[in-house]
Amino acid sequence: MVNRTATVTGGHNRHPSSQARAHASEDTTPVTARRFPRQVYEVGAEPDPRFTLANERTFLAWIRTALALIAGGVALEALALPIQPTLRRSASIILLLFDLAVPLLAWVIWGAVGRALRQGRPLPGSKVALPVAAGVSLAGVLILLGTVLH
Amino acid sequence: MTDSALLDRGLQPERTALAWRRTTLALAVGAIVALRLLSPVLGLRSIAIGLTGLALAAVLWVLSARRAHQATNALPHKSGHLAGGGLLLGLALAVATGAALGLVYVALT
Repeated sequence: MVNRTATVTGGHNRHPSSQARAHASEDTTPVTARRFPRQVYEVGAEPDPRFTLANERTFLAWIRTALALIAGGVALEALALPIQPTLRRSASIILLLFDLAVPLLAWVIWGAVGRALRQGRPLPGSKVALPVAAGVSLAGVLILLGTVLH
Repeated sequence: MTDSALLDRGLQPERTALAWRRTTLALAVGAIVALRLLSPVLGLRSIAIGLTGLALAAVLWVLSARRAHQATNALPHKSGHLAGGGLLLGLALAVATGAALGLVYVALT
């Protein structure tokens, strides 16, 4: 698969996409200018839509991870599992606290990857994995301790 | 979609549409399970939370279907363009709110 839009154009308010996909719209305003968020669409050129769609699926995968973490955090408390109560509660709070960051980071990273795709730059690393790994590890240790101590 | 020559071999729009559906269904199942699990503690409020989640899932289903249609038209050699990130931000905020509500629940019990 070839990225048709490897051209890097740093300048703001320039829309090379109108050149790349001149047939895209009868409207003289480039489509890139009218999409949200501006920070993503104001730079570079329209990338191969398949890359953009892959980026979107990655975002959705993180959202599902976030939903699973919420379910886990709430279920720990709601099901009154046989775990030492203070540790169980701490594990639940840690899962939910870290999970506050996951959807928001997923959104930020989605935008950063979208920008990089438009500019033909290397993709930024995923910073969403950090809170997920940290939260799940911490909660896991607490639950393990709580199970042993119960 | 009549011209199969225009179909992307990687089925990217289809895969993306399915990813949206998985996410929407996860949200709906989460809302129903929350309704069931939280009712002993929150009473009638759990019904409000469950119904809000289900309504959100319904709205997401419709909006993501529209988005998928737009994605099909944005394939190479076609003339459309992909949708922006508004729906994604909305979803991220909704899920973050869910996490915050979960914290409130744990604090209350």
